[in-house]
Formats: sequence, C-alpha cells, structure tokens
Amino acid sequence: MFQRIRENKPLQGFLLSSLSNLFMVVLLIIPLILTLVISFGRRAPNGTVIYTFSLDNYIRLAGFDPTCEVPGLFGCFNDLYINILFRSIGLAIATTTFVILMAYPLSYFIARAPIKRRNTFLFLVLVPMWTNFVIRVYAWMMLLRTQGVINGFLGWLLGLFGLNFVPLEMLYTPGAVLVGMVYEYLPFMILPIYTSLEKIDNSLYEAAADLGANTLRTFFRVTLPLSMPGVVAGTILVFIPVMGAFVVSDILGGKQFVLVGNLIQRQFLDARDPTFGSAASLVLMVMTLVVTYFYTRKFGFGEEIVVA
Amino acid sequence: MIKSTVIWKLLALLTIFSLSLTACGGGQTATEAPASQKVTASGFVCPEPQNKVEVTSKELNLFVWTEYIPQDMIECFELVYGITINREEYSTNEEMYAKLSAGSTTYDLVQPTDYIVKLMIEQNLLQKVDKARFPAYANYDPNYLGLPFDPSNEYTVPYQAGTDAIVYNADKVQNPPKSWADLWNPEYAGRMVFLDDSRAIIGLTLKILGYNPNTKDEAQLKEAQAKLAELVPNIKLFDSDSPKTALLAGDVDLGMTWTGEAFLAQQDNPAIQYVFPTEGAVLWQDNWAIPAKAPHLDAVYAWLNYTNQGDIFWMMLRDFPYTNPNKAALDYAKDAQPDLYKAYMDSPITNVPAEAVKNGFRIEDVGEATPIYDQIWTELKGGQ
Repeated sequence: MFQRIRENKPLQGFLLSSLSNLFMVVLLIIPLILTLVISFGRRAPNGTVIYTFSLDNYIRLAGFDPTCEVPGLFGCFNDLYINILFRSIGLAIATTTFVILMAYPLSYFIARAPIKRRNTFLFLVLVPMWTNFVIRVYAWMMLLRTQGVINGFLGWLLGLFGLNFVPLEMLYTPGAVLVGMVYEYLPFMILPIYTSLEKIDNSLYEAAADLGANTLRTFFRVTLPLSMPGVVAGTILVFIPVMGAFVVSDILGGKQFVLVGNLIQRQFLDARDPTFGSAASLVLMVMTLVVTYFYTRKFGFGEEIVVA
Repeated sequence: MIKSTVIWKLLALLTIFSLSLTACGGGQTATEAPASQKVTASGFVCPEPQNKVEVTSKELNLFVWTEYIPQDMIECFELVYGITINREEYSTNEEMYAKLSAGSTTYDLVQPTDYIVKLMIEQNLLQKVDKARFPAYANYDPNYLGLPFDPSNEYTVPYQAGTDAIVYNADKVQNPPKSWADLWNPEYAGRMVFLDDSRAIIGLTLKILGYNPNTKDEAQLKEAQAKLAELVPNIKLFDSDSPKTALLAGDVDLGMTWTGEAFLAQQDNPAIQYVFPTEGAVLWQDNWAIPAKAPHLDAVYAWLNYTNQGDIFWMMLRDFPYTNPNKAALDYAKDAQPDLYKAYMDSPITNVPAEAVKNGFRIEDVGEATPIYDQIWTELKGGQ
C-alpha cells in the first residue's frame, strides 16, 4: 500500500492537502451553501427561517417591494440598499486611495533606509497591532470627541493668539469612519509596497541617472512601474476587508453611518432576518469577486501575492 | 535585509490578528479569590447567604445587559459560593433573542424586557422559575409582580424597572423639550443621542400620531416611518451601551435615555435634566429568566437567592440606580445607606411620580407584525 502511495504523485498531493481540504469544506463550502439556501427562504415573525424558494430578499435588495400595490415598475422603488452599497464602495475606494498616498512615501523611505534600520522601521509599523483593534478604535473616540484631545489642543493653540475657538464636530461623522478605516488598514499597504520597492536593483537607478533622467523621470519610469505589483497587492488586501467592515463604522459613526457590513450584521441580530442578511452577504461577495476579477485582469494579481 | 517571505509572514500574522480581534465581545471571566476572605477588590465585605443553596456547579453563565450588574455583586457571589461567573453582554433585546433562538445552550440566566418575554415563552426558550427553590422571591414589592407579559410570574422575576424619557443639558438647550413631539424641532439637528431601541422609538412616534404604540396596522406603521424619517437628521448617535457618555462629553446636548443613565449623568453634571414627556414615557421592566436548557440550575437559584437579599441588592442604588423592585433592599438601604436611600426616594427619575406611571405606556409583543417593525428600523437607520 505504501508502495502505491510512493508511486502515485497525485494521491500524495491529495493526502497531504486533505486536512486543509476538509477545513475548507466544513468551514467555507458548507456555510456558503447554507447561506445560499437561507437567502431563498422567508423569515417567520419570530425570526426563524422558513425554507422555500423565494426571490423576495433579492428583489427587496434591488429596491423593489414584492408586496407593492402601486402600478408601474418603479411604483414602490426604494434606493436605500443600493445607496448603502454605493456608500460602501465609495468608502472602500476613498480608504484605499488615502492608504496608498500615505503608505507609498513611508514604504519608499523604509526601503531606501540603511539596511540595518529597515527591520526597526518595519517593526515600528507593526507595534500598534499589539493592542486590540477595538481598543484602538475607542482611542480614536477620545481624540475626536467635541471636548476631546484634538479639539482641546486646537482650542489651546488658538487661545494663545487670543482667538475664539468653536470645537469641530468630528466624532460620529463619515469623516471619522474614514479616518478609522485608513488607520486600521495602513500596515496592509505598507508591507507589500515595501517588498516591491526593496527588490528594485540599485543599478537601475544608476542606469537611469547615467542616461540623463532627472529624479522625477526616474520615479515615473523606473520606481513606480516596478513597484506597481506591491500597490496592486495592497489594494486587494485593503479594498476587500473595508467592503465588509462594520466595527469601525459602528463605533466612530454612532451607528448612523450604515455600510453593507452593518446592514448584514444587523439582519442577524437586531432585525432577526437571517434570510435577508444571507442574501445581502451573497450579493456583497459576488460584487467583491467581480470587482477583484476586473481589477486583477487589468493590473495582474500583483507579483507580491504570488510570491507568498 | 528582510526577505519578502518574512514580510509575507508578518502580513499573514497581521491578517489573523485583525480578524480575530474583530470578533470582539466574548465573555469576561473574573478571578477567584480564597473563599475565607470574602472581601471584594473594592473592599466591600460580602454578607453571608441567608438561604444557602447546595451547589455542585462550578460556573454560572450570565447573558445580561451591558453595564448593569455591580462588580461587588458578582465578586461576592463568586467568593461565597466558589463559582466562576462568565458574563456575556448585549445591548438590545432583539440581539439577545436572536442568539438564544439560534440555539445557544450555554446561558444560565438572561435579562429580557417586557415584550420579548412573551415571545420567548411562546418559543419555549424559557423554563419556569421554581418558587420553592427561591425563598428570596418574598423580597419583591408586589407592584412589580404579575405584569401583563407574565401575569403570574411563572417564567420571570423582576430585576429592575424604569422609564425611557427625555434627557437634556440645561446649560446647552435654550428651549427644553416637554414632549416627544418637541424632539422633532430642527433646532436640535445633530445634537441628540437616542437609545438603539426599535420598539420604543417606533412606539413613541405612534403615540405622537395618536395611535396605539403597539399597533399591528401597516398603514399606521408606514405613517410612523415617514414621521421618524424626519427625526433621524436630529439624531447624532444611537447608543444603548452608555448613552450618558456622549451627553457628559458634550458630543450631544439632549435625547432619549433610560432611568439609570439619566440619574448617573445628573450626579456628574447637575445641569442634566430628565423630563417625562406629555405623551407619556415608556415604562419597562427588566427581568431574570432561565433559558430552557440552562446547564447550571443549582447556581441559578443560588444567584437569585443571594443577589436578591436586601444587604446585597441595595448596591443597585449605588451602582445602577433604576427603579428598584426589591422591598428588602430599600428597607436595608433606609438604615444602612441613608444618603443613597434619600437620593433614590427624592429623585423623580428613580422614584417615578404616580402620574408619570399612569401616563406612561408599555411595549408589548406584536406577533405577526414584528417583521414590519424590524424592516422599518433597518430602513430608518440605513437612510442617512
């Protein structure tokens, strides 16, 4: 028997991966199928699922009312859920953009630092991660409050010049949610960009200089193109989690700034409608897949992900 | 030089970290101290149990409202009985109901409010309270027993009662609101905190419109939804965990909150006022109930008997001052804690005036209409 296994390469592969395969089937495939089945169900008044085949949840998500009595296709049209979806996409794009703008210079700085220092800098990037994520978000609450640290400092500063200061309203606004998201996902962009920048051979810069390219030209013709795989990988790592996030928006948005993640979470708890929650999760998943598919078709997966 | 594989390991670690941390919440486990001492970390000397219960369980799993059980109460119980308390918290009845009906069998005690009790009984989620094992039941004031959601207290016993009413900071609000309808005033735009409580908020809106706050009529509910949509711009945040925090920190100036939060906020800042609106405040009572599959029943009765002793339950007046249904606790406080007792009795927030009780209304189970309420709530909060 062992003889057979030794000769049969595909079988070896199957056996070696069987544990992770089992893991994927039990914890990913089966829950996904359940989610799909539940999403076609109906909720009972007490919040349990009635298994049937109904598209009502998807119709409701699209903004139409299955029980609508007003004539015409758009009689009861309600763009609420579509707006929530667009709000999430908008926030994910904004977060990713800000994260790239902040992460790129920092990664560049670390990659061009003396080799001995790079480890220290990367270590420092990760240090905040030792504190629980929720606690870090609460720390932002302290900073952003109307009578918080930032307003206190600004008030003191303006007070020095004898100026009157009206505290800024920062907490429980969309801006606060954006700040929280950018803060949370910054390291996920720094590391891949750093990796790709660090791999660029110094001789390429020398060659560019020899051929008469100025700093700006070198950056756009050499550095940027060669670091794109890192940016692409980082974008995927940031964009997808932000699309499904709900903790930051709950805490810093005052439960008022509703993203798809919040919508889904609420269906399973407060609203007691797992069928609608399942439908919303599937739509989110499919949408994220489609966006990622077109993105990677255009820019590639980012070598950096393949390296892993 | 750091190899890219190292970076990827770090990144993988980071991902695992952030994923595991997002799944927040979870139980808090208190530490055990030697049973002989019986003094809590804050220096409180624990009284002996008046009705000592034989207990073999080593654990008691509480599923309770956030910020609602005094630390001394928990520590004393752990010291006296040598039982470890695991506490998980929720901030809406719906959340608690969803977890229990999804089949959680680990909880020993939950704290449902009025309307959700009836639903839980119907769903066979609760078991009957055995009064023979609960002598401290005699400590309750009969006014808080036999309420409509459980007329003979078969399944529930009181924890604390209270009201949802208007709260405002007199230093910041020039025209104090007197009625629920006043909260629609555009002057208050973006200045209010509201409880994250769908039934109470939809209920008070129905009341303004002159309807039954527990209506099952879809047309009336649609009207309430349209009315509520006008209120949403005034609300800066929904918070059922600690609404007083935003009020005291100056992030909001007024809103709707419940008894204990208003009482504590007023102690910190005397400018905070609590008003029973002219349309009537929401009256409610939180109760102890035992889930049908509670694994540590002996510990449950030990807990109920011990914590309902007058010399333990008085600490609610100190830590979470809501309306107290425990006669023995008030009697005990009268002599042992005269200041707390006086503050409790003198404040209309805790010692609710009779006419406010008469004018108030309760939230009841709405059966088949529940999905409409839930959908209205989802649409309102998503509509920013």
